[in-house]
Amino acid sequence: MYAFIVLVCVTSSVYAQMPHDVIYMPKKTACIAVSYSNSSWKEYWENTLKRENLNMGTHTTQSIIPMVAVGVTDKLNVIVGLPYVSTKTSAGNLMGQKGIQDLSGWLKYQLVKNDKGISLHGLVGGSIPVGNYVPDFLPMSIGLQTKTAIGRLIANYTHKSGIYLTAHASYILRSKIKVDRDAYQADNRVYNTNEVSVPNATDVAARLGYIKDGSRIQAEFFAEHFTCVGGDNIRRNDMPFPTNNMTFTSVGFYGKYQPKNIGFNVRVAKVVDGLNVGQSMSFSVGLLYQLNYFKKEEKK
Amino acid sequence: MKNILKVIIIAPLIGAGGAVVLSCDKAVTEPIKEAYIPTKLDENAGTWKPYILTSSSEVVVSAPKAITDAVYLKELDSLKNKILPVLTPTNKDAIAYWGAGAVYRWNEIARELAARYNVPPASNAEGKYPVPDAANPLADPKFPFANPPYTARALAYLSVAQYDALVSTWNYKFKYNRKAPSKNDATISALLPVSDLPSYPSEDAVVAAASYTILVAMFPGEVPYLDAKLAEAKNARVWAGTNVPSDITAGDALGKAVGAKVMAKAKVDGMSAANNQTLVAGQIEAAKSRGIKDTWVSQEAPVRPPMLPNYGAVTTWNFDKATLTKIRPVMPYVVGSAEWQKEFGELEKINKSQTREQARIANYWADGAGSYTPPGHWSREAANLCHDNKFSEVATARAMALVSTALMDAGIACWDTKYYYYTPRPQQFGLKTSVGLPNFPSYTSGHSTFSAAAATVLGSIFPSKVTEMNDKAKEASNSRVYGLIHFRVDCEMGLVHGAKIGEFAIARGKTDGSGY
Repeated sequence: MYAFIVLVCVTSSVYAQMPHDVIYMPKKTACIAVSYSNSSWKEYWENTLKRENLNMGTHTTQSIIPMVAVGVTDKLNVIVGLPYVSTKTSAGNLMGQKGIQDLSGWLKYQLVKNDKGISLHGLVGGSIPVGNYVPDFLPMSIGLQTKTAIGRLIANYTHKSGIYLTAHASYILRSKIKVDRDAYQADNRVYNTNEVSVPNATDVAARLGYIKDGSRIQAEFFAEHFTCVGGDNIRRNDMPFPTNNMTFTSVGFYGKYQPKNIGFNVRVAKVVDGLNVGQSMSFSVGLLYQLNYFKKEEKK
Repeated sequence: MKNILKVIIIAPLIGAGGAVVLSCDKAVTEPIKEAYIPTKLDENAGTWKPYILTSSSEVVVSAPKAITDAVYLKELDSLKNKILPVLTPTNKDAIAYWGAGAVYRWNEIARELAARYNVPPASNAEGKYPVPDAANPLADPKFPFANPPYTARALAYLSVAQYDALVSTWNYKFKYNRKAPSKNDATISALLPVSDLPSYPSEDAVVAAASYTILVAMFPGEVPYLDAKLAEAKNARVWAGTNVPSDITAGDALGKAVGAKVMAKAKVDGMSAANNQTLVAGQIEAAKSRGIKDTWVSQEAPVRPPMLPNYGAVTTWNFDKATLTKIRPVMPYVVGSAEWQKEFGELEKINKSQTREQARIANYWADGAGSYTPPGHWSREAANLCHDNKFSEVATARAMALVSTALMDAGIACWDTKYYYYTPRPQQFGLKTSVGLPNFPSYTSGHSTFSAAAATVLGSIFPSKVTEMNDKAKEASNSRVYGLIHFRVDCEMGLVHGAKIGEFAIARGKTDGSGY
C-alpha cells in the first residue's frame, strides 16, 4: 500500500553528521551524539501512481539514534550508530512496530587534499540488523533486516570564504533476507521460499553550504537521489515489499552549531519525487558532545 | 603522486569492504521438484468414480494407430531423428520443469494466478469500490479479485477437471495399451523416467488442456500466459521423448472436452450471485433476531461492502444444503458476556505485547493480499505431499480433488456461518492488527475452517502425517488470534467445523472405487 522511505531516511539520519561530509574528528577526540528523527508522509507512490490511503492517514516513523564518531587519526574517522525506531499511522488498524534496528558503522578516510581547497574522501560502511524485527510488514516494519555494505566517494571544494560544494556517490550492497512466510509474490511470480532478494542501491548527493571556524558553524542545502538497482513495483492497491524498487529524490537543509564541546544540529528534508516510497517530510535534531575540548582546529 | 597512490589503495578497499561483509548472490533458493517413476501405476483408475462425468467413457477417445502402423512408425522416426537431436537448452529446461508432474505444475500455476489477482479493488474518486468486470479483466480493478472463497472455488474446479479427465485417460490408456515411444523403439532414449504406463492419450496433455480450460475461465485476463504454458506443457513431453504427437493431440482433445463439461457445471453453481449485496440488510436483521446485539461493520475507509455475502449459497461438493445447515456452528459468545470479556482480554494482552513468536506464526499463515490465500497454502501442502510420496498423476489428482473440494466446501460453510451470525471483529473494539483486517464478519475463522478441512483430508490420505497436519491446522487457527483479527471462539469453532467438512470428503474418497 504505502512505502517506507522512512527506513532510508532513518539510515541517512544516522549518518547525517558525518559520512557525507568532509569534516573529521581530530586524532584522539570523539564526538557523542544523540539525535531524534521524525519522518512522516500522507501520500506515497504506488509504483508511479501518487496516492493517499484513508486506511493509513499519515504514517510516521520516529527514531532515536545514539552515535559516536572517533578520530583515529586526523584523516581517518570511525563512526558508529544504533537507532531505536518506531512506526505508527494516524488512521486504520495496522499495528505500529518498534525496536532496535541496525548497527551501522563507517570508516572515513581523507584520500587527497590540495592547497586549492579541493579534497577527495573514501568511505566504507556497513550495517547489520540487531533487533529481530519483522521486515516485510511494510510500511510498518522498522527495517528490512538486510546486511549492507557501502562504498562511497566524496569530492569537496571549499573556498577560503567558507562556501563549499560537496558531491558524493555510493553503491550499497544489500544481502538477501529471510521472512516468516515461506512463499511470497515478487516480479509477478510466486517464490516458494522464505529467502527474499533485496535489490542493491545507489545514492548520489550534492551540497552547497557555508562552514566557519572549523566546523563550529555549518549550514547547507542539499539534494539527494536514492535508487535501487532493479526491483519490482508495488502492485495496484497492494502492500509494499522488500523487493520493491524504492527510489526517491529529496531536497533539504542541514545546519550545525557547536560553539564549544556541546553543540546541536538540525536537518530538514522533503521528498520531491519517488517510486514505491512515501513522500516524506522529515526533520531531525541532534545533540552533540565532543569529549576532548578542541585542542586544535577541526580539519575540514 | 602520493595522492594517486592513496586512491589506488583505497578504491579496492571500498570494493573489498562489500565483498567481505556480503555475498553478492541475489538468487534465492527454491526447492527443486524432480521427475519420478510413480510407486503405483493405478491400472484400475479408469473405474474410479468421477465428480462431474457420468463415467470414464463419457468423452470418447478413438483408438490410436497400432505400433506397427506406418503413421506411428513415422512419428517414432521423427521423434528420434528430427526432434531429439536438436533440443535447445530452453527445451531441456521446459522438460525438467514439467517433469515434476502435470497436476503438480498446473496447481502451482493456479496458485500463482491467485496470488497475482488477490488484491482488493481500490476505492475510486467517488468513494466507491468498483466491482471487477469479467468482460474487461485487465482494467482497474482487475477481474477476478481472487480472495480466499474465489481461489478455493477455482482450485476445486481445477482439481475436479484434472481428476475427471485423468480417470477418463486411464480408462483409454489401458483400453488401447499403446506404450511409450522408448518401449516400442529401444533406440529412443527419453529424457525423463518412463514407466509402464501406456502413453496414449498423454496424461500430461490431458491435464494441460483440462487445466487450461478451467483457468482461462477463472482468470480471463491471462489467456496469453496460459496459451504459452499450454503449448510448452504439450511440447515438453515430445521433446522429452516420452510421447509422440498423436498421444498429445488425443490428450488435448480429451482434456478440453472434460474441462468444458466441468466449467459448464461451475457456471451454474451459484457463484454469479455470491456478491449479492442486496441481501446484507436482511442478513443483519436476521442475525439480530438470533440475539447478536453488536454486528459487524466494515473498518475500511471508505466503508467497503462485505466480501461475497452470498457465497454461503454456492453449491457444495461433498454434502447437501440440509447438512450445511445441520453442521453450522452454534451461536458465539455475545459481546459483553463474561466469556466474551475473557477472550477480549486475551486479545488486549497480545495487542499490548505481541511476542516475536506470535508475530512469526501470524505472518507465516497470514496468506493475505498478494498471496495465494489459505486454500492455496493447503493446496501447496497437498501437492508437495503427493510429490514426496511419488503418487501417479491420477492419484495426485484424486488427492488434490478431495482436498480442494473440502476447501471449497469449507469456504461455503464458513461464509454461510459468517453471514448467519454477522459478528463484529476485534478491531471494532479498538484493537490493531499485525496481518491486515479481512473485510467480512468475524465468526467463524476462515483460516481455521479451511485448515481443519484440508488437514483432516490430508491426514486420511497420508496417515503418517496426521499429527503434523493437525498441528499445522491448529497453528494456522491460532495465527488469527495472534494477528488479533479473531476471537478465540471464532478459531476453535472453525476448527471443529472444518474437521467435520473434511470428513465428508474422506467419505467420498472411501467410496470412489480407488481402494485408497
